[in-house]
Amino acid sequence: MDHIELSLNQSLDHCIKCNVCMSACPVAAVTDMFPGPKSVGPQAQRFRQPGQPVPDDSVDYCSGCRVCNEVCPTGVKIAELNARARAQIVAERGAPLRNKIIGRAGVVGRLSSGPHAPLVNLGLSIKPVRWAIEQVMQIHRAAPLPAASSYTFRSWFKKHQPTGTARKQVVYFHGCSTQYYEPHVGKAAIAVLERNGFEVIIPKQGCCGLPLLSNGDFPAAKGRHMYNVEHLLPYVRRGIPVVGTSTSCTLTLKEEAPELLGLHSQDVKDVAAGTYDIFEFLRNLAEDGELDTNFRPIKRDLPYHPPCQLRAHRIGRPVLDVLGLVPGLHLAESHADCCGIAGTYGLKKEKYQIGMDVGAKLFAFVKGADSDLALCDSETCRWQISHGTGIVTKHPIEILAEAYGEG
Amino acid sequence: MYDTIVIGAGIAGMLAAIGRAEAGERVLVLAKGHGATHWAAGCLDLLDIGDGDPLAGVESLIADHPDHPYALAGVDAVQAGAARLRAVCEAGGYPLVGSLRRNLLLPTAVGALRTTCLVPATMAAGDARQLPKEGDGGGPLLIAGFRKLRDFFPPMVAANLRAQGFAAEGAYLALPPSDRTLDFSTVSFARLFDQPAFRADVGRQLRQLVQRGGYSRIGLPAVLGLANATQVVGDLQAAAGALIFEIPTLPASVPGMRLYRMLEAALLRAGGRMQIGAFVQRAEAQGDRLDAIYTEAAAREQRHRAARYILATGGIAGGGVRAVDATTLVETALGLPLRTPNARADWFAARFLNETGHPVFRSGVATDSQLRPLDAAGQVVYQNVAIAGSALAGCDSIREGSLEGIAAATGWMAGRA
Repeated sequence: MDHIELSLNQSLDHCIKCNVCMSACPVAAVTDMFPGPKSVGPQAQRFRQPGQPVPDDSVDYCSGCRVCNEVCPTGVKIAELNARARAQIVAERGAPLRNKIIGRAGVVGRLSSGPHAPLVNLGLSIKPVRWAIEQVMQIHRAAPLPAASSYTFRSWFKKHQPTGTARKQVVYFHGCSTQYYEPHVGKAAIAVLERNGFEVIIPKQGCCGLPLLSNGDFPAAKGRHMYNVEHLLPYVRRGIPVVGTSTSCTLTLKEEAPELLGLHSQDVKDVAAGTYDIFEFLRNLAEDGELDTNFRPIKRDLPYHPPCQLRAHRIGRPVLDVLGLVPGLHLAESHADCCGIAGTYGLKKEKYQIGMDVGAKLFAFVKGADSDLALCDSETCRWQISHGTGIVTKHPIEILAEAYGEG
Repeated sequence: MYDTIVIGAGIAGMLAAIGRAEAGERVLVLAKGHGATHWAAGCLDLLDIGDGDPLAGVESLIADHPDHPYALAGVDAVQAGAARLRAVCEAGGYPLVGSLRRNLLLPTAVGALRTTCLVPATMAAGDARQLPKEGDGGGPLLIAGFRKLRDFFPPMVAANLRAQGFAAEGAYLALPPSDRTLDFSTVSFARLFDQPAFRADVGRQLRQLVQRGGYSRIGLPAVLGLANATQVVGDLQAAAGALIFEIPTLPASVPGMRLYRMLEAALLRAGGRMQIGAFVQRAEAQGDRLDAIYTEAAAREQRHRAARYILATGGIAGGGVRAVDATTLVETALGLPLRTPNARADWFAARFLNETGHPVFRSGVATDSQLRPLDAAGQVVYQNVAIAGSALAGCDSIREGSLEGIAAATGWMAGRA
């Protein structure tokens, strides 16, 4: 029994059935399809025995948001129990084609981005096309799909001329969304890191594997993770930190992949320990007095949603800590549980409305903030917030770049 | 860098945090999850001396037990802490009623009577001194509930009340139509009661029962709304034509969640920050000052620094004190010295249900009158740390019926900037 196996089993025994997770779960609050974290997690786990059929499919309605882990007073790893249970179902019966496709974010991005992206985007904006996709693929016709970029982030970076003189080095993990859909997020990250005296290195890298993990395809996710470990390790071993703007990618590198997949080699541990969410990294710089705080005032009040995946890092609110240093800028924290999209969950035909209902509290907060701009660290959440509110949603790093006069 | 970091989000920790944030300090609350509030009945128990004057009981307890947290706090802090909690609830439109000079006796979900002191207005009409007795001739008491709500059985509650001489009957209500059909918890019922149509349907059913049975009071499970319980109970009383009172359920406690929400809202209004899911696992000190604390996080710990720290992690029940092996108790967050029974043999009384309780539950951190932690020699361990609530040594707060009273008094003290 490996370490995670042991901790999951022990965590089962730590459940005191207090129902705190049941009362906090944002999915169980809006649908009957999901009985709640305690029921499908620590309780159902007692009936999931090796060699026996999976007793109950309702665990597939867990969105993986991890609010249950956040509120559990006894430290039960409920979301991990659920993710593993879903993987067991997929291993037994296979996954629908839809889940196989949306689990492969990198492949989808590579096919849609590039000079032909406007055509792809135009196609996806035509209602009958989305209807057909819904019929064939079970992806909800209204679900927020991102617009593909006409150029990739890496193609831009190849031509990029670094500014200033670098004193230190840092590796940037851009993830699929920056590479194929939002290169501007990566540009802002490069500007901020270079402004702080870093030479930014962008090694070979692939999808972090999170969409595969959340769709239960663990064998494929393992391949993705080991590929990234192989290409990041040489830098980590030289003491060069890895930072990412996609907070779900960095969480996957730090914890999700090693824990769920039971990967505990020293290489995997070293990469996890060397990886940072970009605002976590910048906050560390600020605490050590090394962050360039020569900011241009930005007199704005903006709504900010710390997404589930950021909260799952358990590092507080680094965005509030760092952007709080910008004169005039005031962020209002959402205190909403979840936007509802949960990566690929809210795209699915049978789960779209659940996602929208989960996000309703957040949408009301953003709309009520009287702002034409909202901030959020996670890409799929930004797309969902914009879908639910009609309000432009940016990564906080874009505002920080603006405060440096680089926006 | 914060002025104050509070560890624990129960009543003690939250009152301390609110006090300091309202005084203008930068405050962060770290808590491993939801707990203390969500597990309890959402009332303030001051001291279980039965149907009497609990504040007088506190005064004599102070005289007899100079090491008890109430003795450290003093009667003034006990009153000030309770007043502070009342003010937070009042601001939330959910007043606490009762007096520190007289305990209330309220029915539980098994029909026993429990002693408590300050209670939400939604529970007040359940005070046993007002409940109809057998042979009184007045309208009897009705206990009502839903079959879909587990662990609340109106016929059993009523039967046990009858056994104590009350005129009580039990009835199940029909579940009003809603978008939920499969699975119900206390919280899902509370959300349904927040919907006017749902409670109107329940109100009509209660009205019919009152017309048929002549009931003067109705006890319902404490699931009567999460966002606006005061209005839900008002609406139900108007519809039923009888007084309504809530009876606390098993966790998750809806009245406890209401209390937590009001405390959280008060802290956020005052500019404080909350970080839930944060297990404090160790501390670093410079001499007699605590310098930094570390919370568990993905891949590596997170460091937190503040000028002052308040430990409000609870006792053995709350997880602030743990037995790590058969003979060793530890304070889980900061590793502070504990005042505990000397040997394992002294942890427990001979009988499980011994009336004096088990000595191990009096374990906690010993402090001076400023709530600063003391070591075995009576020296202050850290000048910039205060202890509040059940983490304090010298009380068995659940047995004493003093859990919230101690939390409010010492939380209020620690919150005085």
